Amino acid sequence: MAGEDVRIGLARASRENMVAAVLLAPSLLFLAAFTYWPVFGVVLRSLTEQRFGQSASWGFGNFIRLFADTHFHRVLVNTVLYAVGTIVPSLVLALFLAVALSKPGRLTGLLRTVLMLPQMVPLVAAAALYVFVFLPGEGLLDHYLAYFGRYATNWLGSPDLALPSVILITIWKNTGYYMLFFLAGLAGIPADLLEAARIDGANGWRRFRDVTLPLLGPTFAFVGVIAMVNALVQIDHIIVMTGGGPSDSTNMILYYIYQQAEQNLDLGLASAATVVCVGVLLALALLSLRRLERGIHYES
Amino acid sequence: MKAERVFLLLAALAGLLWLAPFAWMAVASMRPDAPGQADLASLWPSGPFGWDNYRDAWESGHFPLWYLNTALLCVGILAVQMVTVSLAGYAFARIDFPGRSTVFALFLLQLLLPPAVLVVPNLQMIVHLGLFDSLAGIAAPYCASAFGVFLMRQTFRSIPRDFEEAARIDGASRLQIMRHILLPMAWPGLASFAVVSVSAHWNEFLWPLMAVSSPQHQVLTVGLASFTLASESGGSWGVIAAGTALVALPLLLGFTLLQRRFTASLASTGLK
Amino acid sequence: MRQLLLAAAALLSVGGTAQAATDIDFFFPVPVQGKLAIEMTRVVEGFNASQSDVHVTPVYTGSYDDTNLKTRAAISAGKPPAVALMSANFIREYAIDQKAVSLDGLIGKDGQTPQAFIGQFFPAVRPNATEDGHVYGVPFHNSTPILYYSVEAFQQAGLDPEKPPVTWQEWVDDAKKLTKHDGDHLVQAGVEIVSSYDYLGWLTSGLAMSNGGDYFNHGWGGEVYYNSPSTIGAVQFLDDLVHKHQVMPEGVIDASAASSAFFSGRTAMMVASTGALGYVRDNMKKPFKVAFMPRAMRNAAPIGGASLLIPTGNSPERQQAAWKLISYLTSPAVNGAWSRFTGYFAPRMAAYDLPEMKAYLAQDPNAKVAIDQLAYGEPWFATFNTVGVRKALEDQVQAVLSGKAKPADAMAQAQKDADALLRPYVEQTALKLPQ
Repeated sequence: MAGEDVRIGLARASRENMVAAVLLAPSLLFLAAFTYWPVFGVVLRSLTEQRFGQSASWGFGNFIRLFADTHFHRVLVNTVLYAVGTIVPSLVLALFLAVALSKPGRLTGLLRTVLMLPQMVPLVAAAALYVFVFLPGEGLLDHYLAYFGRYATNWLGSPDLALPSVILITIWKNTGYYMLFFLAGLAGIPADLLEAARIDGANGWRRFRDVTLPLLGPTFAFVGVIAMVNALVQIDHIIVMTGGGPSDSTNMILYYIYQQAEQNLDLGLASAATVVCVGVLLALALLSLRRLERGIHYES
Repeated sequence: MKAERVFLLLAALAGLLWLAPFAWMAVASMRPDAPGQADLASLWPSGPFGWDNYRDAWESGHFPLWYLNTALLCVGILAVQMVTVSLAGYAFARIDFPGRSTVFALFLLQLLLPPAVLVVPNLQMIVHLGLFDSLAGIAAPYCASAFGVFLMRQTFRSIPRDFEEAARIDGASRLQIMRHILLPMAWPGLASFAVVSVSAHWNEFLWPLMAVSSPQHQVLTVGLASFTLASESGGSWGVIAAGTALVALPLLLGFTLLQRRFTASLASTGLK
Repeated sequence: MRQLLLAAAALLSVGGTAQAATDIDFFFPVPVQGKLAIEMTRVVEGFNASQSDVHVTPVYTGSYDDTNLKTRAAISAGKPPAVALMSANFIREYAIDQKAVSLDGLIGKDGQTPQAFIGQFFPAVRPNATEDGHVYGVPFHNSTPILYYSVEAFQQAGLDPEKPPVTWQEWVDDAKKLTKHDGDHLVQAGVEIVSSYDYLGWLTSGLAMSNGGDYFNHGWGGEVYYNSPSTIGAVQFLDDLVHKHQVMPEGVIDASAASSAFFSGRTAMMVASTGALGYVRDNMKKPFKVAFMPRAMRNAAPIGGASLLIPTGNSPERQQAAWKLISYLTSPAVNGAWSRFTGYFAPRMAAYDLPEMKAYLAQDPNAKVAIDQLAYGEPWFATFNTVGVRKALEDQVQAVLSGKAKPADAMAQAQKDADALLRPYVEQTALKLPQ
């Protein structure tokens, strides 16, 4: 903290620091209890080996078991496929929709609302609806696909189709939300920049590519982080629709953690998987966040 | 101009597709329940209609209690968050203390690690604190919000400092400045945070599923799942549609009414 | 806030509560959709009205697996329900983990021996309710897998609806006749067997039993027999139905998909639980019948269903109250009425001596088939870590059904996975030898 013998400026600075500390304290208290300490605790727990009827010991046994588990290999592959499969299309679609609906108007307003609706519905509720959408033969999708001469498709029951089906729900659910951020981003682009580009003779696509897109960089970073967290964390529909099946084809890292902790009562394995999950999240996010911070400093 | 038309048309098409599951929910929830019939999936509203499915769904669960719990949970979390995020947001926006960006990064960590990821240690934590199986236990991990702090920091930054300076010259204390000048001006930011927060906690499932075991503290999503997950026979689709509608309607309606305001306020928070 | 909650809870709890009554919670799953949750609430209301010592709040806890999770969570948090209706094969795990109370004492207070008590239930349901001769669960409703078939589809294919297939050979022959193809596509499947998690393990165990197997060690929870000829043969049979005879759609079929295909005529036969009988009866517009599961070497049906248990952590007073509820629910009259409503069979033998039960069976021959199959019932798969060990098999069988694996390799892998999960228990029991 600040020194004892002080000039007025320094005293004022240290009082300011105190104020900052007081203002931050409530948040930090909760963060300490429910973010920092749990991270520490889960690392500790992951290094504790205790199985049925045995006493606890220290070691990397949980990690060795985790990385030897073929289900976990499958889970990692699924998680990457799912993340890429949901994030890329959602972001592209969200940007496209934001561009299409950026002008104010009755129709654009209505469409914005409609596209945002899925975000307002609990994922479990959406999943309950989609169980019917994907029902082979009599479901909503097959019912209307039948007009195009298609037969019943086992959407959720085929290991090849189950993951894409689940991805479809996620895109439906989240795109409208991401669109809002892009709308906000587009609104913040100075009109004179676009006008200047127009005068320079740049066509619509060029203006978009050379002016709009670079200025949306921070928005991409921010939405990218949110989308990534969503991809890893939102598994409610997995629980309701597939239980991770068929044959583990829709099993994701968080569902795996849930299975180990709740079904197999194997807290060691669950903690080790959590540590891996947290590590991956931090590593991936570090890049985006740095970019995000830079963008915001640049703007303000 | 031509491209814009095409874009709008494509967006409208997307809108229709997006709406389809809701349309089915509305139609099926009113249609007499008969899994055998061929037009089970038809979106065309064909009678006779009735409220039987809603009655059955209502009687299968404890909806009044679930509504009450969910509302209490959302309001409770929001009330605490309002305090924590505006204080911290102000500190990050207006006070230049050493290590500010490091502390800010520490806050953002929470954005990446929601309670669902840390479900195992968080459960142990609330058991430890004696909060397991209570609404407070569900709420506790959310009392600080990195997202909210981020949003409020941006909001406060977008408010010109002149107002504060003027008030300070008039002899107003920091607290007075915050209450009478900054918070009213930051209202759009708080409002959009409120929408995000309430919709997030109204809709959350996994954490409340784990954090609460007794029926008195059940929330809507957990209740809904318990009667859509039955597996030995097959779906009573009408009842599922009705139950889903019961859970989703409050927020859907609320959002549709407040939509314009919400979008505008989010855009104004400087989240560019 | 607390008062508001209490008020709400009071509003919701049904029936009058006397001052001195012991208030207890009762967790129950509803594995069959429809109006069962409402009906169960009504049954409990009946109990509350019938006496004034105990007031029960019924809590609907989702599927069997969910009920297991929630009960365990409640026990570890020190707030166990007084009674839980638990999938019958989880009882062993509760006994191993000491999460359920042995009921011998409560039975003794009623002046009975455990053997005499459990002797009032059908022989097939007894093994899953007891562990080492001690009673841990009281069977409440039970089911076996059964073959549902469409009378119309049989007639159209030139088959006699009075003569359902009896052997696997006849089953395949009939299924071929019942199947309609358009190119590679199945327009009408010969048969659909439910193959989602939980269901699939149960049905595969039934096929393996019929194929001569024992499937798991009845007496001790550390062994399963996945990589043995009887199970491999059963899984090969499933594989053949899909890929060789092409009478069943590829991939996993959940109960919703199978029943909706059955109702709309996209499948002529369906294998599902007898517990779904009430649901099918309500929703199938065309005539249907049910038959025994066709057999390979012998008739065999795994017993599914649920038993009532008392979790540990309940005071003697609450245990006594719980016992009162359990006795009520498994009394012949209540047990029989529940059976008639749901299509499950009543495990309490005396239920079938009641006149209303006789009338019901006389009027619905399908219900009688389910009872008759009981003679061939065998205990349900129960081990240490039942869910994980079951899933080890299910993941592999699902891969076979989807054309991603061959039965022999798949079962070798399933055995390996299951053994790894059982290992900690095995090490502490069978392999823990005198030092």
